Amino acid sequence: MNQPVDLLPKFENHEEQETKFTTCYMCACRCGIKVTTEGNQVRFIQGNPKHPINKGVLCAKGNAGIMKQCSPAKLRSPLLRKPGSERGAGEFDEISWDQALEILTARLKKIRQTDPKKLAFFTGRDQMQALTGFWASQFGTINWAAHGGFCSVNMAAAGLYTTGHSFWEFGDPDWDLTKYFMMWGVAEDHASNPIKIGLKKLKERGAKFVAINPVRTGYQAIADEWIAVRPGTDGMLALAMVHVLLQHDMFDDEFLVRYTNSPRLVVNTPGKVGDGLFLRNADGEALVYDQQRGTLVDGNRVDISPALFGEFTTDDGRPVRTVMSVLADKYLVDDYSPEAAAKVCGVPADTIERLALEIAHVAFEESITIDCEWTDWAGRKQTQFVGRPVSMHAMRGISAHSNGFQTCRAIHLLQVMLGTIDCPGGHLAKPPFPKHIPPNLKPARHMSPNTPLTSAPLGFPTAPEDLCIDGDGTPLRIDKAYSWDAPIAAHGLMHMVISNAVKGDPYEIDTLMLFMANMAWNSSMNTANTMAMLREKKDNGEYKIPFIVNSDAFHSEMVNYSDLVLPDTTFLERYDTISMLDRPISETDAACDSIRQPILKADRDVRAWQEVLVDLAGRLDFPAFKNEQGGNKYLDYKDFIINYERAPGIGFLAGWRGKNGDQHLVGEPNPKQWEAYIENECFFKYPLEPSQRYYRHANKDYLELAKTAGWVGSTEQILIEVYSESLQKFRLAGQGLYDGPMPTDEQHKQRLREHFDPLPYFYMPLEQQRIDTEEYRFHAITQRPMFMYHSWDSQNAWLRQIASQNYLYMNREECGRMGIADEAWVWIESHNGKIRAQVKHMDGVEANTVWTWNAIAKAPGTWGLDKDANESKDAFLLNHLISELLPPKQSFADITNSDPVTGQAAWYDLCVKITPALDGESGAWPQFEPVNPLPNQPSSVKGISYSTHQNVNIKRSLKDILKRGKQ
Amino acid sequence: MKPAFSVLFFTVTSGIGYGLLMWLVAMQLISGQVGELQNFLMVGFIGLTLATLGLLSSTLHLANPKNAWRAFSRFRTSWLSREGVFSILYYPVILLYAYALYVNGGELNPAIKIIGAVSLLIALATVICTGMIYASLKPIRQWHNPLVTPLYLLFSVTSGALAYSILALALEGSLPYFVMSAFLILLLTSLLVKIVYLKSIGKPEGSTIGSATGFTQAQVRLLDAGHNGDTFLSNEFVFDAGAMKLLRLRWLMIILLFVVPLVLVVATYMFDVAPAVYLAMISLYLGLFVERWLFFAEARHVVRLYHGDQRA
Amino acid sequence: MKLGLVIDLDTCVGCHACATACKQWNTSGTIGPLSDQNPYGKNPIGSWLNRIRTYEVKEPSADPRLPSADPRLLSADQKLPQAHQKPPSDNQESSCGSQQFDLYALATKGESALSFAGINSATGAPASKTVHMPMSCMQCEDADCVTVCPTGASYKRAEDGIVLIDQDKCMGCNLCSWACPYGARELDEEQGVMKKCTLCVDRIYDEKLPESERQPACVLSCPTSSRVFGDFDDPSSDVSRLTIERGGKGLMPELGYKPTNRYLPPRETAQVPAMAKTKQPALSKLKKWANRVIAR
Repeated sequence: MNQPVDLLPKFENHEEQETKFTTCYMCACRCGIKVTTEGNQVRFIQGNPKHPINKGVLCAKGNAGIMKQCSPAKLRSPLLRKPGSERGAGEFDEISWDQALEILTARLKKIRQTDPKKLAFFTGRDQMQALTGFWASQFGTINWAAHGGFCSVNMAAAGLYTTGHSFWEFGDPDWDLTKYFMMWGVAEDHASNPIKIGLKKLKERGAKFVAINPVRTGYQAIADEWIAVRPGTDGMLALAMVHVLLQHDMFDDEFLVRYTNSPRLVVNTPGKVGDGLFLRNADGEALVYDQQRGTLVDGNRVDISPALFGEFTTDDGRPVRTVMSVLADKYLVDDYSPEAAAKVCGVPADTIERLALEIAHVAFEESITIDCEWTDWAGRKQTQFVGRPVSMHAMRGISAHSNGFQTCRAIHLLQVMLGTIDCPGGHLAKPPFPKHIPPNLKPARHMSPNTPLTSAPLGFPTAPEDLCIDGDGTPLRIDKAYSWDAPIAAHGLMHMVISNAVKGDPYEIDTLMLFMANMAWNSSMNTANTMAMLREKKDNGEYKIPFIVNSDAFHSEMVNYSDLVLPDTTFLERYDTISMLDRPISETDAACDSIRQPILKADRDVRAWQEVLVDLAGRLDFPAFKNEQGGNKYLDYKDFIINYERAPGIGFLAGWRGKNGDQHLVGEPNPKQWEAYIENECFFKYPLEPSQRYYRHANKDYLELAKTAGWVGSTEQILIEVYSESLQKFRLAGQGLYDGPMPTDEQHKQRLREHFDPLPYFYMPLEQQRIDTEEYRFHAITQRPMFMYHSWDSQNAWLRQIASQNYLYMNREECGRMGIADEAWVWIESHNGKIRAQVKHMDGVEANTVWTWNAIAKAPGTWGLDKDANESKDAFLLNHLISELLPPKQSFADITNSDPVTGQAAWYDLCVKITPALDGESGAWPQFEPVNPLPNQPSSVKGISYSTHQNVNIKRSLKDILKRGKQ
Repeated sequence: MKPAFSVLFFTVTSGIGYGLLMWLVAMQLISGQVGELQNFLMVGFIGLTLATLGLLSSTLHLANPKNAWRAFSRFRTSWLSREGVFSILYYPVILLYAYALYVNGGELNPAIKIIGAVSLLIALATVICTGMIYASLKPIRQWHNPLVTPLYLLFSVTSGALAYSILALALEGSLPYFVMSAFLILLLTSLLVKIVYLKSIGKPEGSTIGSATGFTQAQVRLLDAGHNGDTFLSNEFVFDAGAMKLLRLRWLMIILLFVVPLVLVVATYMFDVAPAVYLAMISLYLGLFVERWLFFAEARHVVRLYHGDQRA
Repeated sequence: MKLGLVIDLDTCVGCHACATACKQWNTSGTIGPLSDQNPYGKNPIGSWLNRIRTYEVKEPSADPRLPSADPRLLSADQKLPQAHQKPPSDNQESSCGSQQFDLYALATKGESALSFAGINSATGAPASKTVHMPMSCMQCEDADCVTVCPTGASYKRAEDGIVLIDQDKCMGCNLCSWACPYGARELDEEQGVMKKCTLCVDRIYDEKLPESERQPACVLSCPTSSRVFGDFDDPSSDVSRLTIERGGKGLMPELGYKPTNRYLPPRETAQVPAMAKTKQPALSKLKKWANRVIAR
């Protein structure tokens, strides 16, 4: 604005201000931020305009970073549970870091020397899994995972077993070119700002936005069309659309032939060993029927025209069918007709059909082409990229159901049939994705004292041989990941660790080490019982989980149940890497990573967890952290990040490598790498050539780059797996037809037989299969409010003014029928227990669904909140109603309430009944004993007037006051 | 709107004060008689005290009273400012009037009459300003009503008339017939105007949640106010007394403010029980409080539409 | 100049970023601090200059019940669905336009418009559309909050029309907040003075800031760019252009405040034709499916 500025005072003393860049850590988006400070105080946090993720914008959380920094819930120094005091009583002594690390080192050394698996190391909302996983494998325990098991492993796994990438961190809609966008089950969650930026682009261009979600809030509010699907039935909806597409020949046969395994021949010998596997030649290559030669040939050959449909008989007389024929047989039956789906999903048949015909229209009649020379996997020059401008995004509402893996596969199938995978206007991968299907990485299983694992704890099984079970089928991991319970548990089952460890099933552990995971509250199913379990003791008086170590920046509920508390820094006080080896922040057209740098000096005796891990690694003599002389190889975290190389030239940070910092992606360590990042606003962006931006699963130039950068192991085509032979192998094991490990337990057999369908299929969520759905007739789901999504910020003084109590939102008409008044208190009851909550009427919610904001409720006295805070008195957690185990079924052993394929916690399967509370029954129930204040915890303040300087007021002159008339 | 005692007390009490003073001066100007000087001073003192008490209490609801003195600066546009100016201006004039009378041995003369007339006008203006403070607020349709200022004025002179009469009774032993008859007429007029006023605010008109949100052609409901605790806005503007309570209080107001005083005054004359007027005064005073409480309680600020009300 | 905001109701997802961005900037800004009471206790409350409210919009109910003159129904009526009614008479010039967002009219333009409004049940979804409405000072042209102010603390800048409060002169009488129909003014309990949106006057003119950042904090932050800042006097400005192109409206025109800020109504639904069905359903020819010869 050009204005008589002289009329205005000088508002800000810029000379006394400093502006630095770093990366936000208030959710999983990892936006770039520009922070202006005055002294050691934050004046203003804003989005970094140049940053690939948020392009200058910032969400409500990021904008409330000041109050996170000011939170009285910040831990101040290491804490040790008072000797003799009970766990959970909240009686701690402040100790020094030296003491803390000595205690921990001694304990961990002993475990590592004797039986490394006795350490279970699980991390919550962290963004450094590459480091924590590496640390765990150096320690030698396979009992490591992050929170993906109850977050979105279904999405990740389904994607990595189908298209080689997935949603969110793995890929995004082509916001700039897509003409039709379907958003499935996004509970205001992943990702935050990128979705918002993308939706704006769609609306500006007039692209159609269809929201499939039982609740109409947030993103769904601005959708062109809202499909109020019944929770847990999205898979049926997707497959009914597949039905319609098949019925009317609306699929991209060129895409299917060239880029997917759908022409491959599947052996069709039900009841026999080898049924459902691909027909392979002597070299083990899968075969297809070549229409030119009229014979069966190696499907990988270039010079062939494979038949998409067809049934054949092999020389040895085995009937075989193409994948596509199997698929058509499967989905063209009435079970998947729109009419059948309508009954299941509550979406009218004609709507389902219309949606299918609309996406078909956009994909095939509004397709786009980008003229650009590129080379396909076989080295053939192509002149253009063909785009099918239909895109999709799916998240929590799909992933948190026990049928989420197959549902997500169904959504991918829809994309594949339309040919919208990694094409202009479609769903684009983000480097280092796509990966080969599945990534060639097997979960580690062998452990021995004082020895690092030979591979990472987590991986991608392709056959029963890869499971982490011993000879008689007993799980090797404490969370029973990669066991018959959950064979493809690619992110582990963090939600089972406490329950299993307390039962000593499969075995007892010594130490549970947690980072940023609130397992004693909103990160656990069955919260109240979990708190009890954490206190359970053996006959000898020892706790069943003998030692619990917890690192967190804030006074979470879990702190109260820990024996040793290691206070972490806030995100403005630390160095971090958001690494390409981990969960990078890449864009669809560029490989990106980023760092955090300290903006403020910590005013407490705290240490960043990653610093502590590097320190411990030295104390515990991890080989990778020792030099020849046996001294510590790395000074600290920064030094480790610069110098550690996973493979020659490949480290945590991809930018500015090489001695002089002039190499990217691959290169020698650069001693000045941190400085280079800081100079470049704390992020690195490596744009792909236009010829490398699409069809990357079959794009030679891209695949070669990916191989050099260490993103993929080979430059072979990434063949999209419509049909998953890996799943079929597990299914055969369940049928007793597998030549290898097979389950003995009937329940396991059944789960494998039913749920390891090599093609996506729909089944009712498991909880619904085991309860009386007449009695528990409401689906109860949660969303995370945008202003708290994925955050650690319930205590944030500004954000909690927006919501300090959550309500149970119910359909207005349904409430009318049930005689439940607006803001009435009701009892919500599941097979696992009951709670009391306050109802709010809403029109925009599917009639059989009730929902609430997640993780608003807090235990009294935690998070720096007063004991009578609304979060403790009126807010409620749905978690109490969710069991970590499925409802019991006669003759079946207890089994995890998770997706039978991936072990994803099925916390969206919850079904409840609702009854009005009696007169006088108000306030949330259950209520919990207030948690004791921590040593030297600041006493609650009555008011805040935050300001970094005395405000510079604009004075109005007396003359003006007296002389001005009406304005 | 939330009725604040300080404001109720202010408007009622200073209203009576100015009313009383107006009658005091007016009767002298009309009759040309001053009567007992100390009686005049006594009544004048009482009137001025009431007015002053009111004014003082009105400053109690200020969050930053140290700037109260600045309130005189926007006479050009602000009725509150004007009220302040007139109320302060009134003191020198009325005191000058009293002093002049005193010096002049309790005898009026043209100059003194002019001063008296001026004081009369300023008192009148002050009360009108008080009314206009409310009448000028468009967002509150129950206040932004042509009858609001007349009502403030009416209640001031009506209560003033009764106050004048009982003081006359107390000091001179007899009720002033003229003022008493004026009181009765004013009381009945006020009753009439008040009823018309109540009817007019009962009409379903004014802004709606539709015009507030812009969705005038649809049904609009609040889902979330954006802050689930209280806010300055909800504390200041969202006040619900409950329909039945409001209705009962309306009747109570009618009885205390109109019926009882009327009956008692009539009784005073029919049965010559003068002391009844004291009771009439008490009833009237209480009635005015109820009236003023309702004036706030029934006022619905349009901000409430954004908090879910369907219409103002 | 006539500075103000355009807010796009078609793309606002109600994320509250603008609200906290505003709080964050202004608590250390010229109008600051913006205090919070009982920040970590029961019923926290604080001063905000920008609040986001969420409404559900649907077809008028079948049985319109007009609020009654009878006080017995007066309060009760406030919660009842209002009758389907005509737009309120517009007692001011074109500046606010004569009619408001004509959702119902849109809703009758056909199937897809209906589903935009969420009013049809063809999709099986409940008949409802959720709308997020951020509200801050409208910088009215006829700002009664200014005229009623007795101390002169409240004023409208002649240069650019920004309505400001001189923090040193306010006596905290609340009258300006009573005069504001939009709930844009909030008294700060701690300092006893009135607070309001300044359009970040302490950003937009700060030449030390990069040109692109001389914008109100809310605008800078909005993840869906649903907030646009500019000069309504300049016909070529984005705010003027958007207001005309998208039929931007001011709220409650019937009160005659001539609010400067404009709200852009939700767009009509994007239309996508359905692909023509094949005559012969595949089911019948499943066994003899036509294979095109496609080179791998």
